[in-house]
Amino acid sequence: MDPERTGVRMDRMLRVNMTDRSATFEPLPAAYRNRAGRWLTSSIVHDEVPASCHPLGPNNKVIFSPGFVTGTAAPTSSRISVGGKSPLTGGIKEANAGTGWGRRLARLGIRALVVEGQSTDNRFWLLKVDTKGATFEPADPWVGKKLSEAVAAIAAKSGGKERVDVCAIGVAGEHRMGAAGVCFTDREGRASRYAGRGGLGAVLGSKGLKAIVVDDSGAADVPIADKATFDSGRKKLAAALGEHAITKPKGALNSYGTAVLVNILNEAGGLPTRNFREGRFEGAAKIAGEAIFAGNKERLGHDLYNHPCSPGCIIACSNTWHHKDRSEHTSCIEYESDWAFGADCGISDLDQIAELNLLCNEYGLDTIEIGGTLGVAAEGGLWKFGDGKRAIELVHEIDKATPLGRILGNGALITGRAFGVTRVPHVKGQSMPAYEPRAVKGIGMTYAVSTMGADHTSGYTIAPEILGVSGKLDPLDPKKTDLARTFQYATAFIDSTGHCLFIAFAILDIASGFEGVVEECSGVLGTKWTMDDVGRIGKAVLDLELDFNRRAGFTAADDRLPEFMSREPLPPHNGVWDVPDAEIDKVFAS
Amino acid sequence: MVSVHVYGKLRRFAAESDPCGDSVIDVPHAAGDTVRSLVVRLGIPLDELGANVFVDGRYADLGSPVEDGARLGLFPDDMQLLYKWYFRPKGTNE
Ligand code: SF4
Repeated sequence: MDPERTGVRMDRMLRVNMTDRSATFEPLPAAYRNRAGRWLTSSIVHDEVPASCHPLGPNNKVIFSPGFVTGTAAPTSSRISVGGKSPLTGGIKEANAGTGWGRRLARLGIRALVVEGQSTDNRFWLLKVDTKGATFEPADPWVGKKLSEAVAAIAAKSGGKERVDVCAIGVAGEHRMGAAGVCFTDREGRASRYAGRGGLGAVLGSKGLKAIVVDDSGAADVPIADKATFDSGRKKLAAALGEHAITKPKGALNSYGTAVLVNILNEAGGLPTRNFREGRFEGAAKIAGEAIFAGNKERLGHDLYNHPCSPGCIIACSNTWHHKDRSEHTSCIEYESDWAFGADCGISDLDQIAELNLLCNEYGLDTIEIGGTLGVAAEGGLWKFGDGKRAIELVHEIDKATPLGRILGNGALITGRAFGVTRVPHVKGQSMPAYEPRAVKGIGMTYAVSTMGADHTSGYTIAPEILGVSGKLDPLDPKKTDLARTFQYATAFIDSTGHCLFIAFAILDIASGFEGVVEECSGVLGTKWTMDDVGRIGKAVLDLELDFNRRAGFTAADDRLPEFMSREPLPPHNGVWDVPDAEIDKVFAS
Repeated sequence: MVSVHVYGKLRRFAAESDPCGDSVIDVPHAAGDTVRSLVVRLGIPLDELGANVFVDGRYADLGSPVEDGARLGLFPDDMQLLYKWYFRPKGTNE
């Protein structure tokens, strides 16, 4: 360990070049000293990746960075941010996941891991990082394997799941498919947590990097510059999470998971159904969080509350679904996955939804993109909405990498083109998540302007009033400019802290919780940040991302929802997408 | 008639309380009905109700008027995700 890592963070960067398979530790550049998580991954992509490069070529990079407080005792903070140029959108991408992997990286003093170059020998490699350094091994035994098997074998040979966490790509990433995500192990060593969106798994595949195993045994604790401030902050946050009805033990997320949103969006007429043809799904109650809880209870004979996906999470929203014989079928059926394979595919059978979720975890696929793709494929005549058996067969095609599988594995836009479908719900080539823009216009605005393509996490759940934007709006009102901008700034900040975005549910209601988050960051870094820095940092992150996208060739014309949403009224409200283009263009105009 | 769809722990006020189905209570409409008057008439304790209240799929609150033939959606306090931070309820009098 670096003996200087006492008191103030003296973190390093690990630069891995796949062309010559070298791994070099470098001091973290001074400019990045107070950056982490999404702020740091987006900074490095912005500063080092040529915006015009081919996403699957040697000039793209994949950056991993734990957040400011990842690896510390801060609650619910084990998120790892992954960045690069997206093969799906052609723009910048940040996706993050909850896993002990980032925590171990932080404990090794590695603020950023940069993967660059491209293997020239057509082989896949395993990178091992520990206190002694970083080494490569051939990954041949795991190529083409299901991720659960590959990850368990890699962990077992590296000291066991107590000692290591694994990041890996599946078959979809090996074949460089646009819907390929980056998979991380959860707290139990399951291959189930994804930095899913935007195809970063394909970028790792293009480099020839199959997996990265991180072993932090023998590492020192993450240094904290101002322990009193840090402790004050983490206690405030823990108190807020522990008392709020959504985030507390046996609260909404711990009982029903994020799938609690299925019934809510359905009631609001904003649950996209059968490829965004309708806003209400007649089978919603059968697939909602309440049904998952009830189904598990029936099969297991007792209440089953959700578990933490990663060490130190006190919200614990991650669920499992069980077979009739009580064995575990899959983890985790999140709201977006549940919706994608459920309402969007017209499927109301939780066992089929669980199977589709499991297959995506095994093959290394983003569930949102694949659910959206299946919806488009049904429009294209490849299967009938509701026929879960056929949907499962189609996902197996992706594993086999047949020509059809490769089309589907490249996402909704490519599939729509291949089968002549015009109703393709996407922005910038990334398929839309589980909120219908014609019914929830603020989210439509977020989809339109997000630097990430259609992405709900770009502006999820962030309170306008707390962040200084006055007045709440009618969900069907088209004027959403300030809201969309503020949401995105606050989200970019939280994504940089290493906290899971779901802390937002509590800290939006309990202001001391939000102050706590800012104090935690100041405590670790030795800065004196206040709530004013939230907006400043969020803006700094977004500005970098917007600049990258501009240089990559994006214009205002890309900040648009698909035409069919302005033409086709959506039941039950029968509204169309009517936000004027000028209104959209104002969001980041200043 | 107003058809009231209840979720979570509020399902116990409906005859059909299967969490995997629709729990619906049909309530005769009275002139001047609001969300509050209906909730009180159903005997649902106000402190169990959360902010996720929808009248015909539009985000509402206790003061929102409810017309004859409307669909009212009520979620309990432990299911108040999303809407209350984003949006102003429609047509509220409170
Ligand atoms: S709240 Fe849920 S997704 Fe977030 S870190 Fe905890 S278990 Fe993981």
